[in-house]
This record gives sequence, structure tokens and C-alpha cells, in this order.
Amino acid sequence: MSPAFTSGFRLFLLAAAVAACFSGIGYRLYSLQVVEAGELALLAERARRQVIVQPARRGNIVDANGGVLATTRTLIELGIDPQSVTPADKEKFSELARLTGIPLEEIREAAARRTTRGPSGFADDVRLVRWVKLHDGIDEVSYGKVLDLGLRSVYGNRRYVRFYPGNELAAHLLGFLNREETPVGGIESHLDFYLRGQEGWVESERDGRRRELVQFRNREVRPTDGLHAALTIDHFIQHVVEEELGRIAETFTPQGATVIVSDPVTGAVLAMGNYPTFDLNRFHLEPIAHQRNLAITDVLEPGSTFKIVPAAGALNERLVTPSTVFNCGISSIEVGNRMVRLPRDHRPFGELTVEGIMVKSSNIGVAHLGVMLGSRRLHDYASRFGFGEPTGFPLGGEVRGTLHPVRNWDGLTITRLPMGHAVSATPLQIHQATGAVANGGVLMRPMLVNRVFNDAGETVVSFAPEARRRVISGETARTISGMLRKAAAPGGTAAQAEIRGYEVAGKTGTTQKIVNGRYSNRHHVASFSGFFPASNPRVVMTIIIDEPQTTGSAYGGLVAAPSFKRVAEQLIPYLGIRPSDGSENYFALERDIHDHLRQTGF
Amino acid sequence: MSKKRAGAPRREMLVNPGFIIILCVSVLTLLGISILFSATAHFGSDPYYFLKRQLIWLVIAMAGCAMVCLVNLENSKRYVWIASFILLVGLVLVLIPSVGIYVNGSRRWLPLGPMRLQISEFAKLGMVFALAVYLGANQRHIGTFWRGFVVPGAIIGVTSGLIILQPDYGMAALCGAVGFLMMYLAGTRLIYLAPTFVGAVSLFFLALYHSPVRWRRIMAFLDIEGNRADGSYQLWQAILAFGAGGVHGSGLGAGRQQMNFLPEAHTDFIFAVIGEELGLVFTGLVLVLFFIIFIVGLRHLSRAPNLYQYLLMSGALLLITFQALINMGVVTGCLPTKGMSLPFISYGGSNLVVMFLIVGLYINTAFAWRKPVVRQQERRLREIIA
Repeated sequence: MSPAFTSGFRLFLLAAAVAACFSGIGYRLYSLQVVEAGELALLAERARRQVIVQPARRGNIVDANGGVLATTRTLIELGIDPQSVTPADKEKFSELARLTGIPLEEIREAAARRTTRGPSGFADDVRLVRWVKLHDGIDEVSYGKVLDLGLRSVYGNRRYVRFYPGNELAAHLLGFLNREETPVGGIESHLDFYLRGQEGWVESERDGRRRELVQFRNREVRPTDGLHAALTIDHFIQHVVEEELGRIAETFTPQGATVIVSDPVTGAVLAMGNYPTFDLNRFHLEPIAHQRNLAITDVLEPGSTFKIVPAAGALNERLVTPSTVFNCGISSIEVGNRMVRLPRDHRPFGELTVEGIMVKSSNIGVAHLGVMLGSRRLHDYASRFGFGEPTGFPLGGEVRGTLHPVRNWDGLTITRLPMGHAVSATPLQIHQATGAVANGGVLMRPMLVNRVFNDAGETVVSFAPEARRRVISGETARTISGMLRKAAAPGGTAAQAEIRGYEVAGKTGTTQKIVNGRYSNRHHVASFSGFFPASNPRVVMTIIIDEPQTTGSAYGGLVAAPSFKRVAEQLIPYLGIRPSDGSENYFALERDIHDHLRQTGF
Repeated sequence: MSKKRAGAPRREMLVNPGFIIILCVSVLTLLGISILFSATAHFGSDPYYFLKRQLIWLVIAMAGCAMVCLVNLENSKRYVWIASFILLVGLVLVLIPSVGIYVNGSRRWLPLGPMRLQISEFAKLGMVFALAVYLGANQRHIGTFWRGFVVPGAIIGVTSGLIILQPDYGMAALCGAVGFLMMYLAGTRLIYLAPTFVGAVSLFFLALYHSPVRWRRIMAFLDIEGNRADGSYQLWQAILAFGAGGVHGSGLGAGRQQMNFLPEAHTDFIFAVIGEELGLVFTGLVLVLFFIIFIVGLRHLSRAPNLYQYLLMSGALLLITFQALINMGVVTGCLPTKGMSLPFISYGGSNLVVMFLIVGLYINTAFAWRKPVVRQQERRLREIIA
């Protein structure tokens, strides 16, 4: 086989080795393309398949009149592909900089960032850069202009951004979407199921650079946008309330403050605000403590605002009439064969009728009523008014407060509970109890959401007012209401809340805070809970101010009641509430309000 | 049996090996052009860019092939040292930063008008030529240390060494292996060759070990699937391409792996594209065609008139065969990743030209080596008649 000048054996050996290599590769091809083909094809398929998620637009949150409280805007994240920058593109960079406000230097630098070191860090492990972000988000109009420039290398990706036009307006009620698009607190979290919508997706294939190969797209599901939620909150009232909270904060620099306004008949919350608050669009800049909705998360001793409970109980049980007289000059009382020391009043009273007890807010007087009712019935009435149980407010985080069962009471409780000590409640619980009186004795569940509706405006889910129970008879409620009316008149503790021509009913509260285990003389909670017009209540309002810093005493009547008056005066023309005495002075106010509306832009 | 062998006239091959080679190479080239178009059509804006360039190179390559066909190999010996010198200068020039074109971490190309010339492609053929001339001339001293081992060893060493400096380890290894086997075939004593082989292999691995990237690549090869996110990404994608193709393939133009999954889909990894689009049928065909070229070439060697031509042809044949084997071995994951073109199929002008020059040699000898045999038969016929 081989010429004489060479070794046939050597050639044969070489040929054999090469033939072995060929058969080795042949076997390898067989095993790859026949034996393992199925498994490998599946892996290749998996690497190519891609599901592109198409985000759904989150629904709006609107107020009772359709005003937008929270909405979703489209922004376009703009970037550049350094690999496809053409000389023509480079000439247009200055134009791009002008349109988008991105510094020209930055664009040039981004366009020049063509490669990056791979993860190994070795000098020859170099990767191509395909995307450098230029701008976090520009709007559709600007993006349209950028596209009109016809740059090959610059393009954007749409993304949705949650936006709250009112900034801190109703911040605690709305909640927000955090950086991970997760709803935090408020309606955003409560109604997330309706608001978030259904993401769509595209099943398609991609190439090695993860770009979609549109020709292989085989399934497309359009996203379903989220539904919208209409709240019972009224934009304007919320604004008035927050303005008042601002004034309270400025005047008293309190630890905290809460104002709740609702419709007594339906339980619909018209406004709920707290100080301190935060800006929903910049939630990350403020202490997380500011995000607490104090109205439902913080408890306080209700103090005198609680006095409607023993009074209503005693009247409802027909143990007393409004004119029953009690001796409020005594210092101790006999309870079950034992003399119990009575609390003191802020000033000594002599004999007072039940009405007088309420108007003057006598601690000794309500202690009499408590003792008359007895522990069991006193506890039951407190419980029926909603103390010690959640109000059923739709947002999460509500606490139930404390109403001790009778077996845990000590000897003093029967005389201290009637004046609102030894019990703790949230501002909303106090508000709801007052609301029950305003609503003819029926305790309502607070209502925050009116309805959930779609883009066409059709109602998808509607929410109805919900009565929780009848607490006292209508007659008793009217009687208490009359007493509270007198409390907010000259001579009563809440005289500062009076509005001429309107029957304001309300109860003040001044609670000493417990500091280091003792009631402090310097740390108070001032409160006022009331409604008007007393004969046909349209609005219930509760104002709680935690530790107001005042030069004088922080009585609820002096600190909280004026706020009630200021807010109420703005609500009268807005809600068109007619004066009870037939006078027409609200028209003058109405003009002011309209001026105000124009100024604030609502 | 021995009687038959001695008495019978030298059996003629049924078909002239030149025709077999032309047929094999034509099929490979046509397949290469088709698959190259499919692999590169989605690159950039002009789908015909790579196809056009490759077709231009093909014309140049075929012209070169035709020229080599007409050369008298014995006369060409005279020019071997001039050619070697030019190539040597080229190999040095390419290392000079301002002259050689730097791509992906190595300096391999010399600018030539609009084209780029990969000088080492020509150098490997030059080395084969020079070795064949030298060993052919020193046929009688082949058993000596100096003429049989040191000088040819130096020719190989200088070529490989300069190529390593670029660096291009794959090409250097190919030159080393082919040159070594030429010495082996020429008859250099095994007592010299065996230690050299061991030494060269250990040196090669030592060099690899000191280049962390390459060492990592070797290590990655040992666990392709585990390293697929990093070191052996290319290889893993190639393996997937073969699997995705199966027996029949996904159809010409229907492959997906070349769409940025498979880096260098048009050059070193084009065999994987064949695997995906045309399946085992065609990968098997490619393998068989290269094997036919090798075997037919080997049988054809037996007609070589002298050691020089014998070595020239065997070296050229080994260049084609080894390049094909290494490429297919790498792409199928049998060998560690090493840049190596698949002859006649991969995109790349220099390699195509060199491969066609070798085809030219083949055709040249296929016709030149027939003549003495024919004369011998005529002589025998005359003897019978007389």
C-alpha cells in the first residue's frame, strides 16, 4: 500500500487513529442527535420560549363626586443601545438633550459605554452593552417627539406609575404603592383585588439577546385593566379637615390629632384626617410613624365624651328622667354596702339634674348614674355603643380598644368608667358612639367605599350602609341629643362649638394621660365629639388632639370645640344645610366658600 | 494471496481520486454556502453581506486552486525558501501592533485592501511545504539526530511559536501536530519523537495553565452543562442545537440557535447550525465526506513518486482532516473549546483559499501521479505482446 520510501506500518497506525477519531465523532453525533435529542430539544425550547408580561393599568380611586384621589400614569423609561448608535444619531443628540432635559454629556457618555467587563473580571471577558438608561420616565408626548427624531439607537419601555394628585390628601385612607408595586395600607391595600386588574401576557420566542422574535409569537392575552373605586370621602370636606388639622398642628404642636367627619344616617365617612401625615408621592421621605392612621390604630381614654353611655343607659332603662336630681356635692357613695370614694369635678357643683350633669359634664353626676345602672348594665351599654370591639372600618390595622369585663373590675370602676376612665377607645369608636346618638339610637358600621366601577362607569360592586344594632330607643337618643345640644350652647362645656342659627350638639372631653402609671396634670388629650343640626343631624364630627401645648388648660371645650365650629361653618354652605331658626346668614358664608373653592382649585 | 499480490498488476482505482475529491469538496462547499446564508441572514441590516463576501473569496480560492493544478511540483521546490521567508516575515509583521489587526484579544490579521488576511492560515501550508522539501532532500539522513529531528523540529517550532505569540493556541497546536506527524511519516526515529511528543504536550498544558481564561475554558469543557451560564455557554448552545435538530433537522433557514444563542454561528460553530437545521443526515454526511477525502487521499499517497511529494500531500491532507476533526470535536463537545474553522464551510476567506490550494495540490497529483503507473502498465502490456 505504501511506497518503498516510507513505512506502511506508520501510515497504517496514523490512518487507524484518524479513523478512530472520525468514528468517535460519529458516535457523539448519534448520541446527541438521536439518543439525547428529545431532552436537549426541550431545553433549547425552554431557553427560547418567553412570556412577556403586559402590566394592567391600576384603577383610579375617586372621591364621592368622582374627583381623582389616586391614578396611574404612563411613563416611558428611555434608554440607548450603544451598539446601534449611528453617526446620524450622534448628530441628533443635542436635539434629544433639549427635548428630554438630559445633559448632552450624559447622552454622549451613555452612547460610548459599549462594553463592560464580564463577571469573571478577566481582561478578555468583555460583554457588549445593549441598554443604558437615559431617563427614568418621560411622558407620552415627549416620547412621541423623541421618536419623531428618528434615532435608531434610542427607545423606551412603557411603565405605569401610581400618582396621587392630592399629595398628602387623605393619605392615611388611600395608602400607596411602594417601590415594588405592592400596596401598603389604606384603600390601595384593601381594594387591591379590584384595583390591580389582570396582567396580560404574550407567549413568544426570543433570541440569544432576549429580544422577542415577533414572527414566532403564538399567543397573546390582553391585560384587563383594574377597576376603579369610589369612596364616600368628599374631596372638599377632606381638604377642609386637613386644613384644620394643619391649623391645630400650628397652634398647639400636639403629639397627634385626628378629625373624623361622617354622615350619621349612613355611616359614610366624609373625611378622616390625622396629624402627622405624609405625602403619598414621596412616602419614602418621611418617618414611617407618620403613616399610622391614628383614627383607628391609636387608643386613648375617651374621658367625658364617654358620658353619653351612662346617661343614655340610665334614660333608656327608665331609671331616671332628664329632670331627676342628683346631689353632686358629695365625695363618696354607697355601692353594695360599701362606701366608694367619688371622683372630683373640675369645680364643685351642688344639686344637678341629669341634663345638668351632661351640660356641666359632672364626674360625680355620671358616677351616680353608673351606680344606679349597676356594673352589668353599664358594661352592656358601653359594649352596645361599640366600645371594646372593632367598628368594622374596612381598612386593616384597626384596634379594638379595651373594655374590661365586669369580673375584672375593681371597686372603683363603677364610679370611674362612667366618666370615661378605665376604658380605652380609638377616635373612630368614640365617633361612632356619638354617631349612634345622632342616628336615633342605631349604631352604623363606618362606610368608606361607595362602589367599585369599570371604565364605562358601570357599577361592579356596590356597598350599602350597614346598621350594626339599635343601641338605645329613638326617644332616648332624642333626649340625649337635646342635652348635648345644651352642652354646646352658652353655659355648656362646649359653648365654643356653637354656630349661630344651627343646633350644634356635642360633648367635650379632657383626659389626663397616664404618664409613668399616674394621671398627669400636664399631659392631656382634648376631644370633642358632636353633630348638627341636632333635630335632623347631617354631620357627625369628632376631633381628638393628643397633648396640645397650650398656655392655659387643655380642656376639650377650649381646644377641640373651636375646630368643630370652623370645620362645620365651611360644611354648612357646601352641604347646603339650612339654619334651624330660619335665618339666611349661611348665604354670606356660601360666597366665602366659593371664593375659597376657586382659590384652592377644587 | 502473496502470489496474487506479487504477480497481479498494481490495481487501478476505479475512479480517478481527483474526481472523488472534486465531488466531495463541491458538496461541502455548496452545503457551506447554503448554511452560511441561513446562519447570517439575520445579522445586521444586509442579509446578503456575509454571503457576498464569502462568494468573492470562493472565486479567489477557486482561481488559486486552478493555478496550483497547473504547477509542476518538482519545479516548485526551488521557491520553497523564498515563500517560507515571506511567510516568516508575515508572521512577525502581524505581531507588530500598528500592522496586525487586533480582534477579540489576538492579533491574527494583516490588512489587504478591503479584505483581511489571516497569515497563519498560509503559514501552516508554507510549513508543510518547507518540511516536505527539507525531509525529501534529506531522505537518507532521516535517522540522524540533526537532519532527521532538530532541523525539521525547528521549522515546526518557529512556525508554532510565532503563532502562539498572536496568540492562537489552536492553530499552533494544529501546526505542531501536522508537522510532528510528517516527521513521523518521513521516518524520524521514535526514540526522538516520543519524548518530544510528551514534552510538547506538557508544555502546551503548562502554557494553558498560566492563561486563566483558557484554563477555565478547559475546565468548563469537563462539565458543559454545569458551566453553561458562563464558561461553556457557546458549547452548551451548540449541544442544544444538535439536540434540537435531531435526525431530520428543523429545516434549512428554520434554525433558531444562530439567533444570538450561538456565538460565532457563521464561523467556528457553523457545524452546530448544520446540526440544527439539517439534522443528523447532513452532519453525518459532512463527517463521511471528510473521511472519504482522508481515506481516498491516503490510498492516493501510495502512488507518490518521491518522499517530497509524499510528505507534501500527506501534510496537506492532515491539515484538512485535523482541522475538520478538531472543529467537529469542539462543536460536539468532545474537545475543549478552541477556535478552528470547518474547512470549506466556515465563513472566512483565508482559510477557504488555503483549503482550495490544498484541493489544487490534490488534483494536481491525482493527474501527475497517474502517468508513471500508466507507463508501467504499457510496459507490461508490451512485454506480454513481445
